[in-house]
Amino acid sequence: MSVAVATTTGDARPALFRGRARAPSGGPRVDWRLAAPLGLAYLVFFAAPFAILFGISFYADAEQTRLGLDSWIKFYGDLFYLKVVFDTLKLGVFAVVATTILAYPLALVFRAAGPRARQALVLIILTPLLTSVVIRTFAWIVILAREGVVNQSLMALGLTSTPLNLLQTELGLVIALTQIEMPLMLLPLLTLMSRMDQNLVDGSRALGASQARTFFKVILPLTLPGWIAGATLVFASAATAFISQSVIGGARLVYLPALIWQQSTVVYNWPFAAVASLTLLFAVLAGIMVLGLLGRFARTD
Amino acid sequence: MIRLDRRAFAVGSLALGAAGLTTRAQAAGSLTAAIYPGTWEEAYRNVVAPALKKAAGVDVAFDSLFAVDQVAKVRAARGVPPFDCFVLDPGPAASALQAGLFDPIDAKKLTNAAKVPAGLITPHAVTCNAQVVGIAYNPKKFSAPPKGWADLFKSPYVERLGLTGFQTTFGTVSIIEMAKVFGGSESNMDPVFAELKKAVTKAAAVAAPAAMPGLFQQGQIDVMYTNTNTVAILKGRGVDIEFVRPETGAITFQTTLHIVKGAENVDAAYRYMDTAISADVQSALQKQPYNMIPINKDVTLVDTLDVKSVDELAGMVTHDWTKINPQRAAWIERFNKEITK
Repeated sequence: MSVAVATTTGDARPALFRGRARAPSGGPRVDWRLAAPLGLAYLVFFAAPFAILFGISFYADAEQTRLGLDSWIKFYGDLFYLKVVFDTLKLGVFAVVATTILAYPLALVFRAAGPRARQALVLIILTPLLTSVVIRTFAWIVILAREGVVNQSLMALGLTSTPLNLLQTELGLVIALTQIEMPLMLLPLLTLMSRMDQNLVDGSRALGASQARTFFKVILPLTLPGWIAGATLVFASAATAFISQSVIGGARLVYLPALIWQQSTVVYNWPFAAVASLTLLFAVLAGIMVLGLLGRFARTD
Repeated sequence: MIRLDRRAFAVGSLALGAAGLTTRAQAAGSLTAAIYPGTWEEAYRNVVAPALKKAAGVDVAFDSLFAVDQVAKVRAARGVPPFDCFVLDPGPAASALQAGLFDPIDAKKLTNAAKVPAGLITPHAVTCNAQVVGIAYNPKKFSAPPKGWADLFKSPYVERLGLTGFQTTFGTVSIIEMAKVFGGSESNMDPVFAELKKAVTKAAAVAAPAAMPGLFQQGQIDVMYTNTNTVAILKGRGVDIEFVRPETGAITFQTTLHIVKGAENVDAAYRYMDTAISADVQSALQKQPYNMIPINKDVTLVDTLDVKSVDELAGMVTHDWTKINPQRAAWIERFNKEITK
């Protein structure tokens, strides 16, 4: 019926977006019923468990017999756990910095490339996504181990006499995460890069700006929304990468995801695990909000 | 993991459906049993399930979960058990018993009960496998094998050692034995923590227990504490690895089957447990690639196990998990704090 209305009134917009009235901003109002299935699913499978998690965190003891702020005090009163939070966020930041440094040059190459080369590049960038993160993580063990590819090459070249310890270090973990999370940074960045108006770049160059100046004054601001999307994905994904963190980082580096796993399934201290979970959730959300603010700042600039 | 299970389940149900056309009349029930992922799942799917089908006409579906996850799942289900049978190590078994998650076991319903050494079938548990824990090392990397727990903290072993904490049964009991060597005990772990703190800066790796075999295979570590099962599996893959019984004795503990409180398929669960401890199944499970130490006295042990007979287990070091469990959370926290940089 709505289709008929659409044709009779001669409105070119798809019937779905027409609604009965327009939103105050003048944009089309989407029928809320379309969002109901996902909305209800979120309500049942996210909001409700979240409320339970929140509730559990206010039990004072592992057996969940009495209420109290003990778990919160234990977590936030202990420098060790605060350092775990800090390290987790730091890992996310490192992953964002490393992927950014490597992704921008590749994105520029992508922009300059012809259609065939672009297709090949997209294929190369997407291929890692088709492999399970578990397999990619284990591949990094083979590469970074004492008898792995990197160490054997270094030793064959005579650059080092004893194998370097790359596994079980933050450096090794950042290297692995950089590769693992790279597609998340590249995909939004490439989309923005390919949509960018070449005339603006040419104009900047024609007006005498150096390549570096053109990059920082024109290309970077224009692609910033893509970078923010990529950085958000990389940050959230790296900070919560349980498998990579525990397999490559080892037990000497404690991050929140491993702590939550340990507290909930080994120690059975669910209130404490709930506090750690909520902390991870809000810490990552805070990071994402900072990136979002950066986006607003960039747009008004 | 879930997808794999679903696929296996789909294939299984297809097979069942096909079988059902001809043999439905003989089917004597079915059950869902929890099983450890990895070797255990492989072993129970390939050996126990067909044997159970043949002997009792019972179909078994497996839910692959680690011990702690099984207990967590049953606890979370609050009275509606997601499976009928647990398979547990002593730590989780002790806490599940305390939490009242088991139905009692009537040994009279098990035809193979008499063939299992005394004490291995209790009012709540049927032992299905023994594990032996000690030291594993790479014989090509050292001129002499490490002799005991204290050697792990000395050169040249400590520099090649893979350390793991209290998350697993084998890790926990190994560190307790180390504590005893340094003058401590289950109630006084200070001496071993002092040694661990010193060792941690030198050790080749501190990692999750599940990562240990991979690290050993990759040459990242050359010494670790582990069970004979892992040693036999790695050896089967061509890794240079030997098992050493520490001077103070190898450690043993049992893996046990239990009926989940409120289980629907109790009769089928008894048939399942009875099949699991039968001489034929136990004999098949001790061979490559499963390498599980049998507990049925009728079984002649193969020479790849690093254990000669079922009776030998009685002379090994054992631990009281009702004493360990209450302290474990604190040990885990202390390990976290002292070994991190």
